[in-house]
Amino acid sequence: MNAPNGPVVELKEITKIYSQGEIDVHALNGLDLTIRRGEFVALCGPSGSGKTTALNLIGALDKPTSGEVWLEGERLSTLSRQQLSHLRRDRIGFVFQAFNLIPVLTAYENAESVLALQGCPATERRDRVMSLLTEVGLKGMEDRRPHELSGGQQQRVAIVRAIASEPAVVLADEPTANVDSETADKLIEIMAQLNQDRGITFIFSTHDTRVMERARRLIRLVDGRISSDSSTAAT
Amino acid sequence: MLAKMAWRNLWRHKRRSLLTLLSIAFGGFLAILFTALQDRSFADFIDTAARLGSGHVTIQHPEYLETPTLNRTVQLTGQIRNLPERDRLVLHVTERITGQAIVATANDSFGVVFIAYDPARETEGTLTFGEGLIEGEMFKTANDRGIILGTKLAQNLGAGLGNKVVYTMTDRNGEIVSGMARLTGVIETGAPSLDQGLCLVPISALREVLNYGPNEATQIGIFLSDSRRSSLVASNLNRELGPDSTALTWDEVQPDLSAFIAMKVGGARFMEILIAILVAAGIFNTLFVSVMERVREFGIMVAIGYSAGQLFRLVMWESLWLALTGLAACGALTIWPYYYLSQHGIDFSQLVGGQDMEIAGVGFSPVVRVGIFPEHLIVIVLAIVAATLAAGLYPAWKAGKVEPVESISLV
Repeated sequence: MNAPNGPVVELKEITKIYSQGEIDVHALNGLDLTIRRGEFVALCGPSGSGKTTALNLIGALDKPTSGEVWLEGERLSTLSRQQLSHLRRDRIGFVFQAFNLIPVLTAYENAESVLALQGCPATERRDRVMSLLTEVGLKGMEDRRPHELSGGQQQRVAIVRAIASEPAVVLADEPTANVDSETADKLIEIMAQLNQDRGITFIFSTHDTRVMERARRLIRLVDGRISSDSSTAAT
Repeated sequence: MLAKMAWRNLWRHKRRSLLTLLSIAFGGFLAILFTALQDRSFADFIDTAARLGSGHVTIQHPEYLETPTLNRTVQLTGQIRNLPERDRLVLHVTERITGQAIVATANDSFGVVFIAYDPARETEGTLTFGEGLIEGEMFKTANDRGIILGTKLAQNLGAGLGNKVVYTMTDRNGEIVSGMARLTGVIETGAPSLDQGLCLVPISALREVLNYGPNEATQIGIFLSDSRRSSLVASNLNRELGPDSTALTWDEVQPDLSAFIAMKVGGARFMEILIAILVAAGIFNTLFVSVMERVREFGIMVAIGYSAGQLFRLVMWESLWLALTGLAACGALTIWPYYYLSQHGIDFSQLVGGQDMEIAGVGFSPVVRVGIFPEHLIVIVLAIVAATLAAGLYPAWKAGKVEPVESISLV
């Protein structure tokens, strides 16, 4: 089930229909997708093409209208609310567009929050989180609250939080959308490095060409379907 | 972690939290002072009534309550006399003969209530008429031969110190008997009904007139350190007493007074519930607004693995912190006014024309002090915590119900 290059995420004949008054909006139309361990994947496409919807379904934040989502061989539709909550905590890392962090926690506390939820011992949390904060260039800033950090620094804390618990997959929804280009480059570099060094699977939803250029697999969605799926060599 | 986050969340909107804390503190302040005012005044009131009547617990003939005639008497036995040594709740035991009489002078005659007592057995805690002595002196022994009248009664009778006063009553056999004494003292209680209708006589003199035995009395008064324990002491005594006597609590002996206090307590409870609802509404508003402002944040928290139960507990922690901080603020706000009012009180004498007040036939001081019973303070503290937690339930439930997909899209 958890073979080195086995599938981490499988979407089978997924449709997702949102009702907006009397109109049904088909966000996903029979999407089939398999993501393997260690991939660095970007979902791209125009607004409304279904990128974020796909991420929400993979992240167990939403349920498909039909079809099945599998994560590490587990069918999500069979899991209870509590089990889904544990699944998100233990196997998925999230990086959102902005306002990712809990404002009343420091950078360190935010970064360790998932580990704390898992019941990881304090010493181990400290070692892991401090090492990652150092790796992403935030050493010395661990006691700052989110409002004392720049947008890029906040995103780096969010990345540390997402990967600290060593999840099966990190889902990043437009992670570079609200930062300047220099910061965006740094963030992409950090995530690419983590993917390369630690084999963490990243799935992005993005409009950012820099992310697309760095992705080793680029999936273009149009009208809720895959219009192209191409793999490139790592850069 | 949740407790720490909740504490910090409380201070995200300082002004709003401070206003809520102020409302908790002020609500608690009002509840404590209302209750303390009531506890102290009713305790004083009951003590006064006990002194005027026959103690917090009264031993009397089983039929005396219904027909208070002088043939229904009890004996002060050595066992009862020694009660203070046996029961730490009992401070004093007194014997009294009370009833109705006609007092007459050469000028006039009036119907009165008389109290015959043994000065040697009475203290300031059992009989306080000495404080109101305005002429003459109080009795020194049970064998004194004088009579003390209320000031208005003395005026009405045209009696001055040393004048002869004749008192007439029906004895145990239904015969009219009389005693004669010289006026040795005049008292002013401030309560009009007492000042114009009370006379005091030494118990031995009255026993002679009524042909009573040396330990015979109509009532034996048991005075306690705490009037709230009267039921316990009465029920213990009733196990010891024979069929010719019964122990009654002050509220059984004085049902009018008991009804008055019950009515007042009921009114105060209503006020306290109203205060609690108003405070809880303020807390609810704060927490609800605070939760609705953080919907996206809760969505992110759900996404990274917080469960609905953890979000519920987070908001309940915020409620608890509000309650505890509010209680601390309440303590700070209340302590000085409470101390001042417990020492100096509020003087209502201007409102009642400079006189003592009289309720249900009992006079009491117009200076009202505060003093809360510990169990009532505990109830108020628990009520504040419970009201705050109850106010947090719905916002906490809302937080636990946040749908991450909908809330995360709210930027």
